Amino acid sequence: MEAHNRDLYLYKRLSTQVLGVSMDDPITLKHFAESLQLEFPIISNVLPWMGMAYGAYRDKPPFLPDGTPNWFGRRTVIVDKKGIIRFIKDGSPDNKEILKFLLNLEKEFRGKK
Amino acid sequence: MNHKTTLARILGTTVALAAMIALFAGCAALQPAEKPKALTPTDRGTVLFLDKYEFKRPPQNWALMKNLEGGDFELGFLVIEKGSFPSQTTFMFDEEPYGGSRDLENRAKYYCTRFLFNTGIDLRVTKQEKVTLDGKEAIALFMEGENPNRDEKAKSKVYLVKKGNRIVSFVCTMWRPMNGTFAQEPFDYFESFVQSFKFLKKDFYENFEDELKQAGL
Repeated sequence: MEAHNRDLYLYKRLSTQVLGVSMDDPITLKHFAESLQLEFPIISNVLPWMGMAYGAYRDKPPFLPDGTPNWFGRRTVIVDKKGIIRFIKDGSPDNKEILKFLLNLEKEFRGKK
Repeated sequence: MNHKTTLARILGTTVALAAMIALFAGCAALQPAEKPKALTPTDRGTVLFLDKYEFKRPPQNWALMKNLEGGDFELGFLVIEKGSFPSQTTFMFDEEPYGGSRDLENRAKYYCTRFLFNTGIDLRVTKQEKVTLDGKEAIALFMEGENPNRDEKAKSKVYLVKKGNRIVSFVCTMWRPMNGTFAQEPFDYFESFVQSFKFLKKDFYENFEDELKQAGL
């Protein structure tokens, strides 16, 4: 989250909006966002339809090492202006990879105009 | 609230909204990742690190710590010192210190809420001053703290440095048992490292901003 926060000025130049999505309640997320001084929206998705839609909600194996479901895995999804998912990656985001991808996406978009 | 737990449960969704201006294809590719090499001595009493940085290194008994595949810091040095655990000092250069603000004062304020957070050290800022490093605007933070439950204490000096549109950091932390004594010499080596530090190449973000500019973004 901090890394996305650091790169917001670059995302802006790439016409990109960052959204965080979590199963936590809005009050918890408000404190979380304030404590990290996040400057992008975080969506509370307690009923995890969004996580399900983007494949981050996992109620089936593989579970966590202690056997509990990894309900909301960390996943980065890039959706283009037409609503097409162009990038999915699990785990901690590699912001340099994301920036390079977005730049290429922007160039591609401009090439089609 | 447990940030780490919450963080792990966050799904980061990035929505790209493509812009609508002119095409600018065929831009140069970003520089490939460099292969790690040993420190290369120069005739100026400094060393080169990966042809990216030049600086004065501490004595040979300090071990080099290098980051090969991403992580919390770019490079640093470590020495295990005489005395009971945890008598050791580390210092490092970090391209991405805690926080997101590009304002030095704001970044420093936030940085102090996160630095050594996981160690349980009750850290306090003993001094803060504006300085200039290699012509760059910077803030120096002096911090000390203790964790009596673990019988250890720490003393740190941190430089937050404005580098282009971003902020980088140099961090030195000395660890001692509660009854130990902090030494000055390792901080002198750190100071020498920082004051001699030169950036020999543009970093990822400087190159990326060049690419954006070339693309008219």
